[in-house]
Amino acid sequence: MEQKKMCLGLFSGSVDKLTAAGIILSGAAALDMKVDIYVLLQGARAFRKDIGDDAGKLQMAENPALKDEFLESLKNLKVKTWVEFFKEAKEITDVKIHICGLAGKIWGAEKLDDFIGLTDDICGIGAYISSLEEADINLFI
Amino acid sequence: MTPEELRSVSITKSVDARGTACPGPLLEAKKAIGTIKVGEIMEVLSADEGTKVDIPKWCAKQGHEYLGTIEESGFFRIFLKKK
Repeated sequence: MEQKKMCLGLFSGSVDKLTAAGIILSGAAALDMKVDIYVLLQGARAFRKDIGDDAGKLQMAENPALKDEFLESLKNLKVKTWVEFFKEAKEITDVKIHICGLAGKIWGAEKLDDFIGLTDDICGIGAYISSLEEADINLFI
Repeated sequence: MTPEELRSVSITKSVDARGTACPGPLLEAKKAIGTIKVGEIMEVLSADEGTKVDIPKWCAKQGHEYLGTIEESGFFRIFLKKK
């Protein structure tokens, strides 16, 4: 069976959209897809080593007033955190996480070591566009 | 297969994913399928309504044979054969 490829442009750095991205990523992993994630603008801030799973430092994209309820429900339902979803997907299938170099600089993170350990490299827009062109599925969150 | 037939099949692996919400059961199934041999049967226990739709679709994509689902009190038993 030919391996399908998903390309995910991850612009959002909000905890609700990052969680959605993690769940979608799990579905792709279950189907053995190859996934390329390009972490753009706000997303790069969430990937900073000192932020990541620290939900207190992340916003909600949809209805900020519901953040506490959202996080509490996830906990009660034993839903993994967004970082745990990304980590698990990487253990199951070929997932590469690329950080946009400019986005990193905007948030004061220039080196790979400034980001959470799941990150594979820092790249430019050319790599993202190439991946978009090659992928079977393209998502932008 | 009918529920009666499913109740009597010989299961090699039972994956209890009742403690997790979507996508937990699907990922548990994905991890467990690697531990059984082709032709063997696995059941996935899930309390998540979505799993009984997810697993047949996943089987179709991955080439495994979906055998059927039994609805128990508060959870589902979803059967598949590894291909």
